[in-house]
Amino acid sequence: MTVYTERTKGHPFADFLGEHAQVLSIAFFFLVCIVFFSVMTTTFFSVGNVLNIVRQAAPILVVAIAMTLVILTGGIDLSVGSMVALINAIAAIVLALGVPWPLVIVAMLVLGGVIGLMQGWFVSYQGIPAFIVTLAGLSILRGFALYLTQGYSIPIRDVPGFFFIGRGELFGMPFPAILGILVAIAGFVVISVTKYGRQVVAVGSNLEAARRVGMPAKWIVASVYMVSGFACALAAILISARLGSGSSNAAVGFELQVIAAVVLGGTSLMGGRGTMIGTVLGTLTIAVIGNGLILMHISPFFTQIVTGAIILLAIWLNTRIFTTNFRFGGKKRN
Amino acid sequence: MIDDQQPLTAVGGTGDPSDPRSTGMAAATTPAVSLRGIRKTFGSHEALRGVDLDLYPGECLGLVGDNAAGKSTLSKIISGTHIPDEGTITLNGKTVRFSGPAEARRGSIEMVFQDLSLCDHIDVVGNLFLGRELTKGPFLDRKRMIEEARKMLDSLEIRIPRLTAKVEKLSGGQRQAIAIARAASFQPKVLIMDEPTSALAVAEVEAVLSLINRVKARGVAVVLITHRLQDLFRVCDRIAVMYEGTKVAERNIAETDLEDLVKLIVGEERH
Repeated sequence: MTVYTERTKGHPFADFLGEHAQVLSIAFFFLVCIVFFSVMTTTFFSVGNVLNIVRQAAPILVVAIAMTLVILTGGIDLSVGSMVALINAIAAIVLALGVPWPLVIVAMLVLGGVIGLMQGWFVSYQGIPAFIVTLAGLSILRGFALYLTQGYSIPIRDVPGFFFIGRGELFGMPFPAILGILVAIAGFVVISVTKYGRQVVAVGSNLEAARRVGMPAKWIVASVYMVSGFACALAAILISARLGSGSSNAAVGFELQVIAAVVLGGTSLMGGRGTMIGTVLGTLTIAVIGNGLILMHISPFFTQIVTGAIILLAIWLNTRIFTTNFRFGGKKRN
Repeated sequence: MIDDQQPLTAVGGTGDPSDPRSTGMAAATTPAVSLRGIRKTFGSHEALRGVDLDLYPGECLGLVGDNAAGKSTLSKIISGTHIPDEGTITLNGKTVRFSGPAEARRGSIEMVFQDLSLCDHIDVVGNLFLGRELTKGPFLDRKRMIEEARKMLDSLEIRIPRLTAKVEKLSGGQRQAIAIARAASFQPKVLIMDEPTSALAVAEVEAVLSLINRVKARGVAVVLITHRLQDLFRVCDRIAVMYEGTKVAERNIAETDLEDLVKLIVGEERH
């Protein structure tokens, strides 16, 4: 008995293109940027510069991976920049008090997770929109950082072990880059093959459905903000270890770069759709553009304009072209 | 109310569960689920005003009524999605109080929701196993889920070519089929279907009706909510009629007809 209507089976290659349109598009864009800057400058495509790019991109990458989880649930975390500044400042203060650095790192990671979870609690259990909660967090956390440091930059001295995290090299790779790659791999594994990753996507795709099938939907929503806070703490440690100081003015505009990287990677702000590979490529694209424009001796202020324009372009692509009705061979991407 | 005018053939709406039942089919004596005095208020709106209902294993109960009569609310209370304000739910003789859908699901109560409750961005396999993913440690056991999903769909005669396709790519009928397969495949004791055939073509409706009969034969208590009254006579053993948040009548299928049902639904007997 043939009962349910079937569509003819599509060509596997067409299915592949359709399902990975976003990642393919950003990969293409990334390659275009690399080729463009390699041609325009002599120094861009050198080992030294490439390592420099990944070192600089590492904090953004770490937070962008966590932000992908947040945005997958349909939320957003605007407080990441302030969170990085606060943890960065506290880490420097605590290190100046002479607390052993491994203990400081553990404490900062826990602190980040706890602050993130508090925001998650408001979003998930109290039903306040993530935009509002984390906008408040953006202000409050930066305020705490300023209050604690009184606006001064606090130097970190004589902790070579701590500095290694930001400046060291392992197997010829900058340590922050290695950390960033490890976090990206972890993020990829979590989202594609673990039960938790499946729950995150389910909650973002259809919260009520996830609740009805018995998933701990509220806890999952809250938990992604905890992961985000944790990642912010990691990024703050990377930044303070690289710069050798803690400042309340660190990571200004960081949230913009992170969200731009995630959105550029094809993750939908409506939740449910997104990939870690896209986020990695989005982060690298933004890092490459920033780096390339400087090497081309274009004003660093111009980078902001370009980054903003790219966010707009990415969201435009995301909402207008890569909808569920998108088909290759129909309207071409530009 | 209507209760006192009910024909003798109707099963007493407020009767106790040990009432001898006249239906020849599925002669189980203890109800799988028994509801007593269920009340539910949303704001100032009284969605349910004291409903009693028994579901018996191996029997299909049709739940009919006009829009906003309380059918969906009642079914969501059985499935744990809504928590009743008053009244008791008895599951296999034991009084239970569900804290949420997860608990009802653990009590082997499954529901096909009117809106299907599928996750569009997850593939067919993932939706079938949503909320009870097969895992190896923290990891999804994808291979085993695909094998099991294929078996589930085959046994229900549902044909979906690519199990790894995202659900958003599927037709309305296929989506509804997946929602039904998800609810029917995990050995439910109670299966509630809220408008399962609304988006289906003729052939697909036939498949769902034959599915209901097969599930019934396995001893499952089925609740079918539908506006297609003619379908009720194909699969149901008993029909409960809701009106303005109350159950106004219960009829054995052999002792009622379309005209009688329509009268009960619109409340004509009261005029």
